Amino acid sequence: MRKILIVDDHVDIRRLIRMTLEFESYEIFEAEDGATALLLAEAVRPDLVLLDVMMPGELDGLDVCRQLKSDPMLLNPRVIMLSARGQAQDCSAGQQAGADAYLVKPFSPLQLIDVIGQQWEHA
Amino acid sequence: MIAIAIDTPSGAARSFDDAAAAQMERIVTDLGRVYQERNEALREVARAHHEALLRLSLAADMRDDDTGVHITRIGHLAEALALALGESKDFARELRLAAPMHDIGKIGVPDAVLLKPGKLTNDEWVEMRKHPDIGFNMIQPIPFLSVPATIVLSHQERWDGQGYPRKLKHHEIHIGARIFAVADTLDAMTSDRPYRKGTTFSNAVAEITRCGGSQFDPEVVKAFNSIGEVGLIRIKEDMMARRKAREASQMTPSHGLPAVAPLPDPDPDKNKN
Repeated sequence: MRKILIVDDHVDIRRLIRMTLEFESYEIFEAEDGATALLLAEAVRPDLVLLDVMMPGELDGLDVCRQLKSDPMLLNPRVIMLSARGQAQDCSAGQQAGADAYLVKPFSPLQLIDVIGQQWEHA
Repeated sequence: MIAIAIDTPSGAARSFDDAAAAQMERIVTDLGRVYQERNEALREVARAHHEALLRLSLAADMRDDDTGVHITRIGHLAEALALALGESKDFARELRLAAPMHDIGKIGVPDAVLLKPGKLTNDEWVEMRKHPDIGFNMIQPIPFLSVPATIVLSHQERWDGQGYPRKLKHHEIHIGARIFAVADTLDAMTSDRPYRKGTTFSNAVAEITRCGGSQFDPEVVKAFNSIGEVGLIRIKEDMMARRKAREASQMTPSHGLPAVAPLPDPDPDKNKN
């Protein structure tokens, strides 16, 4: 079963994303900040990480993305950035950090499912 | 915080912040879309299912009736009778959709018997009377067709037990088949045949009324009379008008089969749950 790590400081958002993805039979993990996300990622080696851009704490989503992508322990997980801001600079910042896709919150669950599906095609 | 609150299992209401509330709205929007698409897909499947059955039924029916009108007409009559008897709309519609199939077993009856202009010999009658069983065996394995299959099997049964193939009596005969027997007879009597003219509605109604309690379920005959001759003629005219409208609005099917009365959308009320 493919593993997905959800990183968002909002517990409700994490839960809503989990509910959205439960139909697709993924194994879901949750982290509430960047540092926890990196620790958890090393432990479970997710196939894909859904990553909020704006998080409290030392690391924001872009930092986490860069580290996820460069950590050799982690078999290059796919990263989908989630951001409340829909600005072009956010999207390109995400791209520069190595994200594979970018969704604006609130996102359409159907679109999220599609975008995740596309990641497996590219893998 | 905004004013979206739900009751949790503990009984305490709790609120969601803007981000969560906005996300939930998107989920609900998607849910609505999926729901609509699902209903549309189900309607399409139902339509395709009925259309396929109708075309197959026509193939059988057109051997002895080159118009295909008969099987459409008795469906409408059967539907009206079911409603007059107080049956549900769903059931009445199911009867209408079953109508085209009632004689589908005739596909297994040899031309020499089915198309014979004169009287049938005893052996030929034996052949002819196999058609309900042949039809039942054809239809019965198809999902959703248990009522139509029952009607196919028992539409030649008589209230007094003198019908075929099982000699079922009274309420042993499915209500759909009891209704059907009346609709089928009315239409057969009032339709022209190569060897005779159809009789008038008044004659047919009198004959059916006379046979209530012997050939037909008296309750069905009562309902039949409550529709009245004027009502029956209107049903027939409505059906023909709808048929014409459909023929006008559609190109003639290239396969050469006659156009038939439009298939209904499944009851929209049914999709509300």
